[in-house]
Amino acid sequence: MIHPAESNRAQSKLRQILVSLLLTAILFLGSIPPSQANSLASLEPYLDRLREQITEFQLDNGMTFIVLERHEAPVVSFVTYANVGGVDEPLGKTGVAHFLEHLAFKGTPEIGSTDYAKEAVLLDQLDEIFDQIKVAEAAGDQAKAAQLKTEFDQVQTEATQYVRQNELGQVIEREGGVGLNAATSADSTTYFYSLPSNKLELWMSLESERFLNPVFREFHEEKNVILEERRMRLENDPVSQLFEALKSEAFEVHPYGQPLIGETADIAGLTRPDVQEFFDAYYGPDNLICAVVGDVNPAEVKTLAQTYFGRQGWSSQKRSRAKIKKEPVQRGEKSVELTRQTQPWYMEAYHIPGSGDPKAIPYSILGDILSSGRTSRLYKSLVESQQVALGAQGFTGYPGDKYPNLMVFYALVAPGSDIDEVQAALHEQLERLKKTPVTEAELNRVKTRLKASVLRSLTSNQGMGQVLAEYKGKTGQWQTLFRDLEAIGNLTPRDIQKAAQDAFRSENRTVGRLFSADQAAEANPIEAAQPSAPAISEPSPEPVPEPVRAL
Amino acid sequence: MTFLSRCPRRLRRFITGLVMATVFLTLQFSLSAASSMAAAKPYQELSYPPLPEIELPDYQRLTLDNGMVLYLMENHELPLVSGQMSIRTGSRFEPGDQVGLAELTGSLLRSGGTEIQPPAELNQFLEDRAASIETRIGTSSGSASFSSLSEDLEPVLNSFAQVLRQPAFDESQFAFLQAQVEGGLARRNDDPDNIASREFDKLLYGETSPYGRTLEPETLANISRQDIIDFYQENFFPNRMILGIYGDFDSNETIDLIQDLFSDWQPTDQPLPALPAVAQAQANSTFFVDQPQLNQSNVQLGHLGGLADDPNYPALSVMNGVMNGFGGRLMNEVRSRRGLAYSVYGYWSPSYDYPGTFFTGAQTRTEATVPLIKALREEFEKIRTSNISEAELRYAKESALNSFVFNFQTPRQTLSRLMRYEYVGYPADFIFDYQKGVEATTIEDVRRVAQEYLRPDDLVTLVVGNVEAFEQALKSETGQKVQRIEL
Repeated sequence: MIHPAESNRAQSKLRQILVSLLLTAILFLGSIPPSQANSLASLEPYLDRLREQITEFQLDNGMTFIVLERHEAPVVSFVTYANVGGVDEPLGKTGVAHFLEHLAFKGTPEIGSTDYAKEAVLLDQLDEIFDQIKVAEAAGDQAKAAQLKTEFDQVQTEATQYVRQNELGQVIEREGGVGLNAATSADSTTYFYSLPSNKLELWMSLESERFLNPVFREFHEEKNVILEERRMRLENDPVSQLFEALKSEAFEVHPYGQPLIGETADIAGLTRPDVQEFFDAYYGPDNLICAVVGDVNPAEVKTLAQTYFGRQGWSSQKRSRAKIKKEPVQRGEKSVELTRQTQPWYMEAYHIPGSGDPKAIPYSILGDILSSGRTSRLYKSLVESQQVALGAQGFTGYPGDKYPNLMVFYALVAPGSDIDEVQAALHEQLERLKKTPVTEAELNRVKTRLKASVLRSLTSNQGMGQVLAEYKGKTGQWQTLFRDLEAIGNLTPRDIQKAAQDAFRSENRTVGRLFSADQAAEANPIEAAQPSAPAISEPSPEPVPEPVRAL
Repeated sequence: MTFLSRCPRRLRRFITGLVMATVFLTLQFSLSAASSMAAAKPYQELSYPPLPEIELPDYQRLTLDNGMVLYLMENHELPLVSGQMSIRTGSRFEPGDQVGLAELTGSLLRSGGTEIQPPAELNQFLEDRAASIETRIGTSSGSASFSSLSEDLEPVLNSFAQVLRQPAFDESQFAFLQAQVEGGLARRNDDPDNIASREFDKLLYGETSPYGRTLEPETLANISRQDIIDFYQENFFPNRMILGIYGDFDSNETIDLIQDLFSDWQPTDQPLPALPAVAQAQANSTFFVDQPQLNQSNVQLGHLGGLADDPNYPALSVMNGVMNGFGGRLMNEVRSRRGLAYSVYGYWSPSYDYPGTFFTGAQTRTEATVPLIKALREEFEKIRTSNISEAELRYAKESALNSFVFNFQTPRQTLSRLMRYEYVGYPADFIFDYQKGVEATTIEDVRRVAQEYLRPDDLVTLVVGNVEAFEQALKSETGQKVQRIEL
């Protein structure tokens, strides 16, 4: 994703992030079509065919597999969905879910080491010295800390000698794997890649080893990599900062308000045992779902899964999942402001229900009505006709959707306009939705678009794997997908209006303003509180830039 | 219509492939079922059945009497149709004082509506059907595309033809587009990546080169609606177009439809303008863009590169493979071992018909800027001056060869590729020549091409970051004058 060869390379990462958020929203819908309106009814044969091609089974240790057969090409995609994300992080350890995701590429005792027995001793030593450094620093004993750091560097250099770097990823790529990456979100962590379909067993072998017995080697080196990632995604990206500040303000107690990539101090303080502890708590087989999509035989997948993932000695530990605090109802409008070296942005967010709640469904459609395409309301009003914004969109599911979350609207303020004008124009559109039901024609347009996007998503092995695993993980069964589609098909203009009335109230709103430092210099030199946190859902072990193959 | 060619069917039929694959799976399954006690194996002990041979999908290629080329590839899995057209034009043919003319033309062609459907009507007509039509003009080509549910193909194709043949270039949409572009200009320095890639191209190709220059307020002011209409009229002719249609449609009916819509469009007898000459603008020098608010530097190094049909490109792409990817040297050394960057890359990156670039770069914390530059230079010096290992050769080659099947994951990829090759004048089986080239690449080849194609003396270095913190160190490291670029 960060490919410098593309001319608009990261034309903004932001756009990428937004797009991926939007895509998530679309996929969420897109994975599932409804009925009622004839537009969606005609999807039925394709959905029936899809259902018939899906097999699900569970191993004795609780691990779930979903297999979708698609024999169009001899390839297969794999998604491992771990039902753990940023919301599960302990206090003071923000960023540990994402850190773990990076370390899950570091191998096992056998993969990635030339002599694990010797390496393990050194890794333990590093943990000890690191603890001692923290103690010395806390006590203000700089001399001791410096001495320990020298010792630390020596042991680290020694440990590195046993490392076969990135062997896991190297083997996958050498055998023809593509799209190798992972993503951490507030709700979950996913690991994915695709292989030629004759190498099903390779995935079985590598993926089972990876989660049965991971070794979190090169821990401290990776910490620096993650801090670079944080600088790139957050510290040098004012728009990401505004997103972080917005969610932090919007959530009083729910962990959706926490920074996903982690506070710098938390990341810096994390230890290998911290990550191990988090792993032990949340990576048991009953917390993992694997989706296998492509040119495979489900019976063979099952046999191999039993052999590899059903091995003796791998079971789920008794653990108590940290209790997620429920967010109280918001009682009044809130706001955050930042001033940065950037052009101005406006955002506002409203609390809406989580994805398990049928009441959540109209909001995705609201998002479409407001912001999909050139006929969408925000484009036609704010962008094209009033020209107060260069772009304006709304989307649901920020920063996750497993729990009640935010529907966020954002707009890039047009030159010659200002944040207040944008806000007024946006509110006019939201009020209109509350007062007047959308037309049947408008609603049908959105449903038809949904139908087309569902159809298109059916051809993506990777996309379908993601959707099936995520539905299973979040709702307990992938079939919910079909139920949601049906519910969307049955939505009426009145349902949409009701949803707008429920959510778009000033006391349920959090406003975010990003001012330009240049423009503010004379007007408003006071900088708002620095927001603490980072990025959205990010792919981590660097999406290796796609080779520039002129093919 | 002249029926030029029907592409040869591959001898092995698709169905055979399927049957074979099934037999294979069944066999493999019964083996593993028989030994269901089978132990889990480490990856080194696995062996794999062969993958079925790549099957190329059937398609037709025809040329209309007016020279328009048409590719048709049916696929009835889903009730969808899509089309893509390549148009022989590009911003490299626009005047230097009107940079942006081609881009604006490509945009207004669609957004400005047609003589039959004004902009709002066209938008609604398409979105009511979950259909789309989009057009754009890039540096070296123009494109037009559509997608539609198969039941709407005829009306959507109709509008597609109108967009291409009877665009209205609506006045108010033109004013709107100008405002949007101005807004984009105001925001182009908000992202350090954007600054880096834009300024880097200027350094390599030159700020007046069609491959390096950028749209500026002055060049935008020079573009009138009439200029856009003129550019359209000078560039859009059926004999400069290749249209490919993919999906759930009937070829015979669609050929008739295309005939009705396009065959009375007159071709041009004008040849295309000659391609602009390319020479590297800066060499052996270091530049910076000062962004004091950043705590991470965006670093790029590189020089001009070459063409994709260079016979040494397969070896160069093996070199790319050794440097990049999860097991590549840059990831191992710069990222995993030294923790200097999250994203690090280095590629020989050719273009089809003009020299591409060689570039390497990363983002790193301000204080590590110079060590990072040093590390990148060292890595490329190393690959120029010493042999890669057998294991590295194997990693790079097998990654490319084993993943080759992903170039054929959907029939549509094949269609796009065939059209692209025709557009740039490459042979239809170029990708298979590339594959053979990779297979044949040796350790000596990689060293030879690295020595010949990577030119340390031509390297240009660009840093976007908080310059005060590293300017002195940068000067002593490079031994060069460090030059400031004002945005």
